[in-house]
Amino acid sequence: MTISVLVVDDSPIARKMIRKALPADWDISIQEAGDGDEALAIYRSGGIDVIFLDLTMPRMDGFTLLEKLQQDDLNCFVIVVSADVQPGARERAMKLGAIEFVPKPIDPQALREVLREYGVMV
Amino acid sequence: MSELLLNDDQTAALQEIANIGMGQAGNSLARIWGEFVALSVPRIATVAAARLPELIQRCVGDGRVSAARLLFHGAMRGEALVVISAADRRTLGSLMGFPAPAGDGDPGAQLLHIAETLAGACLGGIARQFEATIGFGAPALIGEDLPARAVVRADTLGVDLALCLEVRFRVEARSLAAHLVMLMPRQEVQGLAVLLDRFLCTL
Repeated sequence: MTISVLVVDDSPIARKMIRKALPADWDISIQEAGDGDEALAIYRSGGIDVIFLDLTMPRMDGFTLLEKLQQDDLNCFVIVVSADVQPGARERAMKLGAIEFVPKPIDPQALREVLREYGVMV
Repeated sequence: MSELLLNDDQTAALQEIANIGMGQAGNSLARIWGEFVALSVPRIATVAAARLPELIQRCVGDGRVSAARLLFHGAMRGEALVVISAADRRTLGSLMGFPAPAGDGDPGAQLLHIAETLAGACLGGIARQFEATIGFGAPALIGEDLPARAVVRADTLGVDLALCLEVRFRVEARSLAAHLVMLMPRQEVQGLAVLLDRFLCTL
């Protein structure tokens, strides 16, 4: 079954890096958003299974998007991919419903392990 | 319109690489200050030297500031400025655990420590992304309680055009912010562009 993935990051380079880090044999369709507002609209249109989410973004940041997703009864896996490596950022993101925090620069192996752990990828 | 020193792809790559460096710097600052530090999206601009005072003022506001500078060299060469508003500077002592038995204690030492930490973590983080190394000169105090426009004197820079990278670190609980501005003169940007192109080829 094809998994629907949303990559949310204001940086086109970061989005490219995340795409590159995803397992090549993973059956997915990918959409991209450049900020929280855009991501929320895509999420609300339905069908998203996994979100890779940056925290530091203009307009609506990742924390605010997580709050909005919670208000919408979050119904997908959110994996934070962020350069903000403060323990406080991780704790805050996890409290807001993220299942995991992967620091930038992204380690493809670490990402693969997270996906396996949550059964998103076999 | 001013001349651009990096193309769009190089600028986007530098912004993301700076974002990673900034995250590491924010983490270092959070440890020193014992507070959560909110990070900004890095801003990159090519600025004529004559307009640098205006850029600094736009970054930190109209008030008076304290500032320190340090030079970096190696794979990247330029100057890093750390600017803190004079009001915020007064709250630094308690955050950093510096003794202040008489008034402000040693305010210059606090600022130099912040400058060294921020520049080291942020620029060091950027260099690591390039698998390159950079060294730093000793931090030097530019001044305390200066007008923001006086932090940089265009006539002493010896360059006509500079690449500026600005990041802001903010402690929400205390309304405290520090600004790091990296300046690279035109003649040094070519080396950075080569590193960025090499990075872009890996994507």
